[in-house]
Amino acid sequence: MAEDRAVLREKRLKRQMARTEKYFDYTLLFIVIFLVCFGLVMIYSTSWYSAAKDGDALYYLKRQGMFAGLGFVAIFIITRFDYHFWTRFAFFAYIIVIIMQVLVLIPGIGIAVNGSRRWLGKQGVITFQPSEIAKLVLILFLAFIASKSVNELKMFWGIVKTMALAMPIIILVVINNLSTAIVLVGITFIIVFVASNKYKPFAAMVIVVGVFGVVGLMAASYRMTRIDAWLNVDTHPQAYQTRQALYAIGSGGLFGKGLGNSIQKLEYIPEAHNDMIFSIICEELGLFGAIAVILLFVLLLWRCMVIANNAPDLFGALLVVGVMAQIGIQVLINVAVATNSMPNTGIPLPFISYGGTSVTFLLCEIGLVLAVSKQIKFKQDVNVK
Amino acid sequence: MKPRFYHRSKARFLFALMLMGFIGLTARLIWVMVFKSQYYLERAEDVEERERKIKAARGQILDCNGIPLAENESVCTVTVIHNQIEDPKQVIRVLSETLQIDADTVRKRVEKVSSIEKIKSNVPKETGDLIRSYKLKGVNVDEDYTRTYPYGTLASKVIGFTGGDNQGIIGLEVIYDSILSGSEGRILTKTDVSGIEVENAAETRIDPVPGNDLIISMDYNIQSFVSQVADKMMVQKQAKGVSIILMNPQNGEIYAMVNAPEFDLNNPFSLTETYAALDHGENTQDLLNQMWRNGCINDTYEPGSTFKIITATAALEEKVVSLNDTFSCPGFRIVEDRRIRCHKTAGHGTETFVQGIMNSCNPVFMDVGARVGAANMYKYFGKLGLFEKTAVDLPGESASIMHKLENIGAVELATISFGQSFQITPIQMLRAVSAVINGGTLVTPHFGIRAADGDGNTVEQFQYDTKTGAVTKETSETMKMLLEKVVAEGTGKNAYIEGYTIGGKTATSQKLPRGSGKYIASFIGFAPVENPQIIGIVMIDEPVGTYYGGTIAAPVMREIFDTVLPYLGIEKS
Repeated sequence: MAEDRAVLREKRLKRQMARTEKYFDYTLLFIVIFLVCFGLVMIYSTSWYSAAKDGDALYYLKRQGMFAGLGFVAIFIITRFDYHFWTRFAFFAYIIVIIMQVLVLIPGIGIAVNGSRRWLGKQGVITFQPSEIAKLVLILFLAFIASKSVNELKMFWGIVKTMALAMPIIILVVINNLSTAIVLVGITFIIVFVASNKYKPFAAMVIVVGVFGVVGLMAASYRMTRIDAWLNVDTHPQAYQTRQALYAIGSGGLFGKGLGNSIQKLEYIPEAHNDMIFSIICEELGLFGAIAVILLFVLLLWRCMVIANNAPDLFGALLVVGVMAQIGIQVLINVAVATNSMPNTGIPLPFISYGGTSVTFLLCEIGLVLAVSKQIKFKQDVNVK
Repeated sequence: MKPRFYHRSKARFLFALMLMGFIGLTARLIWVMVFKSQYYLERAEDVEERERKIKAARGQILDCNGIPLAENESVCTVTVIHNQIEDPKQVIRVLSETLQIDADTVRKRVEKVSSIEKIKSNVPKETGDLIRSYKLKGVNVDEDYTRTYPYGTLASKVIGFTGGDNQGIIGLEVIYDSILSGSEGRILTKTDVSGIEVENAAETRIDPVPGNDLIISMDYNIQSFVSQVADKMMVQKQAKGVSIILMNPQNGEIYAMVNAPEFDLNNPFSLTETYAALDHGENTQDLLNQMWRNGCINDTYEPGSTFKIITATAALEEKVVSLNDTFSCPGFRIVEDRRIRCHKTAGHGTETFVQGIMNSCNPVFMDVGARVGAANMYKYFGKLGLFEKTAVDLPGESASIMHKLENIGAVELATISFGQSFQITPIQMLRAVSAVINGGTLVTPHFGIRAADGDGNTVEQFQYDTKTGAVTKETSETMKMLLEKVVAEGTGKNAYIEGYTIGGKTATSQKLPRGSGKYIASFIGFAPVENPQIIGIVMIDEPVGTYYGGTIAAPVMREIFDTVLPYLGIEKS
């Protein structure tokens, strides 16, 4: 009887231990939920005025809400699986994405909006941007390849070879979407950088790319226009969007005009709910609102780092680093562009900017990160006494 | 398979890099949103706000007794804002009834989707107040002003009128525009990029500052009397025009300036009879410009015999002639190869200098002019301001047209001596003679005395240049004596009034081209001779029939002085 009781107690303890071992990063999840909801509020605030003219003030809010909902469903599903499960699709998905990127380029199949052919699907029914999917697939693919070739990555040649594997997709994307290509290059570089134990080859690459970048900019006149616009933001005719964004940011002041009170969103900034949404956040919520948003992203990136550094294996770590790279690069570039700290290039603010494909697949990536966090093992079971 | 340690440090390195990026961007945000905030806010407001102007009341123009010559009538502009209207039926009914516009016209405007639609402007204030009392949503009644001139044609070419934006177009309304116009107020409203007002956004209101009143030296009573005299004369002599200026020779204040025919200031864009006959569509603007011309200032003429005052002054100053010098007039003078006639073809015979002036004898003045010489003549022209504009406070003053000194031969000098072969404006002539008779002070003819606020407090007292020493006191006294003789016993005797000492000089100028048979009959007169208080010039342009200044212009001056001298408190002796 007493023995039975002892056995039962031990069983219960083990069950308890098992439960506590099963970690899940709720902090990250709640940051993301908050960002997405905040994004919905801001999308409604920025878009209702122009959307109302087309008959439905809620148009953008409804669409983004639908895609965000889809994203959360995806998180739920993805976190049910061991993240290693997805490796078996890595090559297949990579091929599919390449095919989609080729299709996008073909007139009649790829759908152009505002002069850029970036969408697939059936216009008016459902469209999506394959380049957004490419980010997720590239992270999965590279994390898998890099984790398998750790020894090769100790050599310069191995580093170049691994990076070269990402080239086909980057080249296809760069043709009509420079901004996304920059993000893809960043993701590739960072995943390989973290996977390798070397620093010097990467430093050398940064220097070489930097030099070639400047030379390349000098050569391409259309790129130079952007630089001119960047340097002469107050006067350059091409700098209209950035100029208006600066007016919005500057007129926000310390505490902003209050939620919903932006004037620049009244079509002064074209499509303010897209890439320039940060400037409206500044105008309505002021410096404090803007810093709060930046802090949320810093917090999110910090959680990613913690999860990566506690991941059970290198693949998991690289997967999380890839996601961290994408989010970090996008936020940095987006805010830098809005504040005219760099030449204009259209990159959405993760979770907040309007864009169905973007928010759904970002949430899928968060799903992967959460899946990795679920397998974190504690070295010391603090709960067991 | 455990992750290796270098991955951890690299991930930390990556995070640190990103964190630095965010710190940098935060610093940039602080720069833009705190330190450059005002700069961007102002620029943003520039593009975000729409201005609605509130007209400022234009200052009045008052005569020297405070009688308004130009004033404002308060009117209203009624507008509707489509998307603020709650009860369109009532709005249409009220507006069509009060404004007496048919309901369909009002309905069209009320139902038009636009940010603001004007229903009617220049609505009387009482009607505007009535519409306001209904408190209709979406109906605006804005205060507005129109310029009115209570005396219509009185001094039209002097006072001038204003255009649609309340800006002066001619006359004093132009010269004193900045004083009269005040500054417009503004209502700033936030709008979207296409200019549609944002609901519930706060409006910024900057109140208008009304313009200051302008007090001028013109005397309504003198001006209207002189106008009547001019009009009467024009009819009587079937003249093209009659111009009269009355001025205080001591300080240049102008009491009256008439340019008959005048036009209606309340209707300045419709041609008067004379001009309407010439109108054939394309030349309307030219005709309007002609109609608005102030001949006393904008046009030059050959002064003729009145100019002998200047020649005599120069001769006395240079002491090349004394009053008792004798001359002979056979009715002409041969100068070089030319035979220049006297107006009396039979000749005046032997006469003294004094008689020469009284007879207005051309050969006498040709001789006197020759004695003075061209260079010395021009010296006194300069001293008497004939080479410069008078700086009268009216727009478009003409300059004189004179020979170049080096081009003056004996013939030119002879003709200049009795007022031919060059052109000056009547106001220049009047100013030069004023200097001769006031003891040598060259004044600035003017209307503007002071600017005052709505309560009559002086805001600005205008100052005008005077130059003393144009002629000596002695010469001035001699000239006054001579000119008094002209009126008392000479060609100007038609200006004589028993009991007053009046000086003056007649002139009959041929209009160019010579031999066209067109004349300007004129007379310059002043009184009292001992201490001149008023000087005047009468010019009758292209009279029909008798055209001698002494016969037709001098009596006009007598008629004016007969009334105006007592009005100014100058007693008969």
